[in-house]
Amino acid sequence: MSTEGVISGAAVARGRLLLRKMGVGIALLVLMLLFSVSSEHFLTQGNLTNILTQITINLTLAVGLTFVILVGGIDLSVGSVLALSAVLAGMVMSNGSIDPNLAVPLAIGVGMLVGLVCGMLNGALSALWGLPSFIITLGMLNIARGAALEITDAKAIYSFPEGFAYVGSIIIFGVPLLFVFALVLVMVAWFVLSQTVFGRMIYAIGNNEEAVRLAGHSVFRYKLGAFAVCGLCAGIAALIYMARLGIASPIAGVAFELDAIAAVIIGGTSLSGGKGSVIGTLFGACIIGVLANGLILLGLSDFVRQIITGLVIVMAVVLDHFRSRISQGA
Amino acid sequence: MSLLAPQTQPHIAGHAQVLNVSDLRKSFGGIRALGGVSLNVEAGKIHALVGENGAGKSTLIKILTGAITRDSGTILLHGKPYLPSNPAQAKAAGVQCVYQELNMFPDLSIAENVNIERFPRKPFGLVDFAAMRAQAIRALGAVGLDDMDPDLPVRKLGIAHKQLIEIARALSTKSEILILDEPTATLTDREVQKLAEILARLRLQGLSILFVSHHLEEVFRICDQVTVFRNGQTVASEAIANVTPELVVRHMVGRALHPAAAAPRPKAPRKNEVLAVADLKTTAHAKPSGVSFSLKAGEVLGLAGLVGAGRTEVLRALFGADRRRGGTIRIDGAEVRIDSPSDAIRHGLAFVTEDRKGEGLILPMSIKENLGLVDFVSASRMGLLNKAAESTQADRSRDKLSIKLGSTSDAVSSLSGGNQQKVVMGKWLNVRPRILLLDEPTRGVDVGAKAEIYEILKGLAEEGTSILVVSSELPELMTLCDRIMVLSNHQLSGELNRDAFSEEALLKLAYRQHQEVGVETT
Repeated sequence: MSTEGVISGAAVARGRLLLRKMGVGIALLVLMLLFSVSSEHFLTQGNLTNILTQITINLTLAVGLTFVILVGGIDLSVGSVLALSAVLAGMVMSNGSIDPNLAVPLAIGVGMLVGLVCGMLNGALSALWGLPSFIITLGMLNIARGAALEITDAKAIYSFPEGFAYVGSIIIFGVPLLFVFALVLVMVAWFVLSQTVFGRMIYAIGNNEEAVRLAGHSVFRYKLGAFAVCGLCAGIAALIYMARLGIASPIAGVAFELDAIAAVIIGGTSLSGGKGSVIGTLFGACIIGVLANGLILLGLSDFVRQIITGLVIVMAVVLDHFRSRISQGA
Repeated sequence: MSLLAPQTQPHIAGHAQVLNVSDLRKSFGGIRALGGVSLNVEAGKIHALVGENGAGKSTLIKILTGAITRDSGTILLHGKPYLPSNPAQAKAAGVQCVYQELNMFPDLSIAENVNIERFPRKPFGLVDFAAMRAQAIRALGAVGLDDMDPDLPVRKLGIAHKQLIEIARALSTKSEILILDEPTATLTDREVQKLAEILARLRLQGLSILFVSHHLEEVFRICDQVTVFRNGQTVASEAIANVTPELVVRHMVGRALHPAAAAPRPKAPRKNEVLAVADLKTTAHAKPSGVSFSLKAGEVLGLAGLVGAGRTEVLRALFGADRRRGGTIRIDGAEVRIDSPSDAIRHGLAFVTEDRKGEGLILPMSIKENLGLVDFVSASRMGLLNKAAESTQADRSRDKLSIKLGSTSDAVSSLSGGNQQKVVMGKWLNVRPRILLLDEPTRGVDVGAKAEIYEILKGLAEEGTSILVVSSELPELMTLCDRIMVLSNHQLSGELNRDAFSEEALLKLAYRQHQEVGVETT
């Protein structure tokens, strides 16, 4: 009798969890339905391709941020790190004295490495002494931006090898190749978070750091790892940016961190850590992209778009607050 | 605002009752905290409330200060019904309380701390600093700190002065009765003497004080009357002149002492020494004197003492959870370095902490994930989780510890307290520890699960696991242990073998330090 109660209680909890996970997806579908009814241009292949192109960079940054936010931190520096990675990679790529066949892979390596190093610095400084990552990464936001501007003398870098820019323009059955890269990144992140010890510890630390420490695990190492992943994603986003636009600008990515954080939060990841998923982040990034695109199709100004995006962020957090209160009360 | 009508009849100091509690009851989800306590505090008297851990003292304070509400019973304040539903109402009615954990603002000045509840104001919401200072100087005078600079930040003060300022703050608003919760726990003997003098002066001014304490020596030095709680009931209420400390201890423990050898342990502990700790100094005490002990294979050693005696600190320091000031740890005769929990685990230690929810479990995660929290090795390969192995491991733990659950995939928060505790034990037993440290292993656990946990621990000891257990429940220690050490004020005050166990003997050791200090100074 009592075990039956436990089981049905658990089933209800699982049902609720499923609904919670589906919630963002349903919101995205409803949004797309609304726009396709109100604008004839929305559901065209050209427009959908356009949306996917536009969300690719935000999605890439948001995947990395999901790790940091899950572990209970925040990374404000991803936009600036994107710029620094881009200009350093761009300098390698546009350097005429390196064989073009070597320059591209080398530049890709440099771009990812710069992101990784910046992320590890963020992680090491905040995790080692338990400093608030908000402040550390705010510092990195300024440092990386300043460094990118100083190195390039505030000038954008052009003239990459043709093959590299070509990759940015490939579209397969209406899906940009760069978006496919981002989608692969989402799948890898999903695998890491749900199937590895590293992922498990990210969630565990986000929920109860002290319990993890007393269980004999190095909280520092996993936090460092989460920030490193975030930096690496910023480096990858820098390469996507370069492939798409054909330039590496030191003022690239200004305020990109805000849309990326918004995507993570709308996707249902708790800002206090320990709860959420990268699949939610995928939907979150889609919602932001669809919203921006749809509202412009409806003829609303970009200012109104900003207001509505802001309202959606607030609504997502308020909804999440009441959902978790209800599930705790049950 | 006030719960009391304005006072109409003047009360005569020494006779009128300020606070009258009768047949007060309070339960928390089936666990009875107060089972009908009564207490009368007379005007202008210092009334002591004593009792063992869990006797119901804190619950009474919480009801009086409006932090929680009672189930039934009456409380009269100056003869009028008194039922605060929140702390603000209690304060407005004149019930002021100074807690053991001081709630101060270290970077604000003394004057600001004293006035924090109600800043004197000028028009437009500006603070009237002159009035605030004047009020602070008056309040400081009332607690004998006439020469204290009210502009000093509280951070710069010693603990004793902080406490006096808390009292000053409490008295700066309308005060019918002042409740002091363990006021002397962190004071030196000279500071206690000073506090006693100030309390005596406040009493002469007609203030009534409820003095809640563990420290009998101070109760006898400071108070006029004493009420003893035991298991949520009033067992005695006497004038101090009519009782002795021994009698009070007897009341606290109860006449029907628990028989020591409730269940004789079948096997004598083995001979070889597994753990030897020498001169372990924790950071919790400014001048620790060092704790030394040893533990044999299959032995169950208890660590008794009052709250604040440093029991948890010893376990945490030994496990590497906190830094140590000094001390050596030997395992199987060889000295080992334990600087972190992972060092401790590598040397075969495990630590079931007191705070199950804060330190033991990851509540939103599943039962099997929690059971696998310490031991990833057997449920993962090359950094990948092996979820099948994890489930098998969880099922083994469930069967071995008879954890009552629906599915091991359910959130651990869905379990009862006893089963949650078994999950905490299970995650440690997965790494087969040789030395198991337990802090309050049956806190918040129902009677049935308690007995099961005792059985599990006995089984482990028979298999050769050495166990060091801290508990505030003396019967629990007397049931489980082969030997009990007693800590008093961060020092070992004695040790008893199983044949010498009695609650009286243990309590005497637990109180010993304080009484010796008292004798020295009087």
